[in-house]
Amino acid sequence: MTVQITAPGFWQSEFAVRFRRNRNAVAGSIIVAFVVLVAVFGPFVAPYAYDDTDLLGTWAEPSREHLLGGDQLGRDILSRLIVGARVSLLVAISVLSITLAVGILMGMIAGYFGGWADGLIMRTSDIIFAFPELIFAILVAAVMGPSKLTVIVSLSIVWWPGIARLTRALVLQLRNELYVDAAIACGTGPFTILFRHLLPNIVAPLIVRASIGVGFIVMAEATLSFLGIGVQEPEPSWGGMIRDGLVGLRTDPYLALFGSMALGLAIIGFNLLGDGLRDLLDPKIRDR
Amino acid sequence: MTQPLVQIDGLTKDFAIKRPGMLAQRAKLRAVDDLSFAIAPGETLGLVGESGCGKTTVGRLILRLVEPTSGRIAFDGIDITHLDEKAMRPLRQHIQVVFQDPFSSLNPRLRVRDVIGEPLRNLGWDTTRIEQRVAELMGIVGLPAEYMTRYPHAFSGGQRQRIGIARALALRPRFIVCDEAVSALDVSIQAQILNLLADIQRQFDLTLLFISHNLGVVRHVCHRIAVMYLGQMVELAGENDLFTQPLHPYTQALIAAVPEPDPATRGRRGALQGEIPSPIAPPPGCRFHTRCPRAEARCKSEIPQFREAEPGRFVRCHFPG
Repeated sequence: MTVQITAPGFWQSEFAVRFRRNRNAVAGSIIVAFVVLVAVFGPFVAPYAYDDTDLLGTWAEPSREHLLGGDQLGRDILSRLIVGARVSLLVAISVLSITLAVGILMGMIAGYFGGWADGLIMRTSDIIFAFPELIFAILVAAVMGPSKLTVIVSLSIVWWPGIARLTRALVLQLRNELYVDAAIACGTGPFTILFRHLLPNIVAPLIVRASIGVGFIVMAEATLSFLGIGVQEPEPSWGGMIRDGLVGLRTDPYLALFGSMALGLAIIGFNLLGDGLRDLLDPKIRDR
Repeated sequence: MTQPLVQIDGLTKDFAIKRPGMLAQRAKLRAVDDLSFAIAPGETLGLVGESGCGKTTVGRLILRLVEPTSGRIAFDGIDITHLDEKAMRPLRQHIQVVFQDPFSSLNPRLRVRDVIGEPLRNLGWDTTRIEQRVAELMGIVGLPAEYMTRYPHAFSGGQRQRIGIARALALRPRFIVCDEAVSALDVSIQAQILNLLADIQRQFDLTLLFISHNLGVVRHVCHRIAVMYLGQMVELAGENDLFTQPLHPYTQALIAAVPEPDPATRGRRGALQGEIPSPIAPPPGCRFHTRCPRAEARCKSEIPQFREAEPGRFVRCHFPG
């Protein structure tokens, strides 16, 4: 006899209960939810347009009109931070989607089929690993010219090998499971085995990897924009705002200060959420 | 004898082993060494031996899950030794498998309906037809059909093994490899599953290769029994002959090791001494001579042939009896 398993609602499920007990996960998800809400709805509530210049209000101190002050062209810092959140997340989501799609597919092919396909994919990723990612991004920018698209393309090229390696390792672990042999023995084709049998069993570590990766991608985008090869004026980005703020750091620190705070908050949020999810989803450290 | 359903000739499988170090020496492990046997339609052949003797590899070779190094495997007169995966697929519905571990042989993320229905889905059956067939199969193996939407973790080991058997039966195969199909189960459940297998064999006129390390279990279900030692077959005989009058000293030792319920006859037989030698460097001559109570100088140098000692009884020993 088996015990009747009733399906509880999501909030009663084991995962939800453990999630609520994990402080990192809760704090991270609150911060991430805040950043995402700002990015989605922010432009509707922002007090000014992000490119509204006010030449009388350059380097304005925080006041009732400009809650966080103004930048070198008198643009409202709060409004620009809000729109900057949207830019950061857009880049992060694009890079994440591309790297997950390419990385998982390549990793599964390398891990399952082995042989020359494995060699080709893994040596390619070794070559990409050999470049420091910033140098690589500058190289791409030199070819494509600085733009948001450059950031997405260069970060995607730099990031997919990490996903591919993780996926390959996970597939190697599972491909000797008997249910894979059973599937082969009843005539299941290799791609059905990959997507129906293996992928659902490796999503948990991939989710963890992706959630930790978002923080790094946001950071990398800010770095590239800081260096001037990322998002271009007048579109705001946190990295670009920090750079602009450096000019007046001694006398008018608000632009660099608030830009850094926004960037730091977002990265801390994503990292806390990633750490929390890792604790919750990684079976190896699960029962500690 | 009619044409055998499965015919194995000189089957050999080497596994390459990498030794650590810069100049990696390539050693090879001969898991299966020049094995030949045939299984008649409707027959159950038992394959026994200690762990590591290559019996599981034999099953995987017949299923074409691993590539043979040399030799020939024929199914129903067709040589399947070198068929590629595509050419193999139509034949796979006739050759199925039940694995030892009922936990790792079912994908934890698939519902029972999808596990049992997978071979049917591969043939392009539609969903309603698959569900009907799955319900029918669950009835055959003694599981309520309502359970088909559950996941494997909701079942006990014995029930999982029933699910594995239902999956193997889905395509109405003619031949099933049972690889230690009951070894992971409690003794009380073992009997149920063995009876189920025997019923199914009668009902569907199946041919079975029954791989096990447990002679008691094998005796219960098999018509003929093959004994393996270090990749070689050492004895092949009918079930009754093998148990009443084993010819090879290894078979005799295995039978002596079967637990004896009667205390009066217990403890008088010598157990086998020593460990099974490494298959990477098997002993010269007869492979069993290091542990054989009957070994003489000849056994250390000359490899005994696998020969017919009596009609239908084969043995690999210089001094059988």
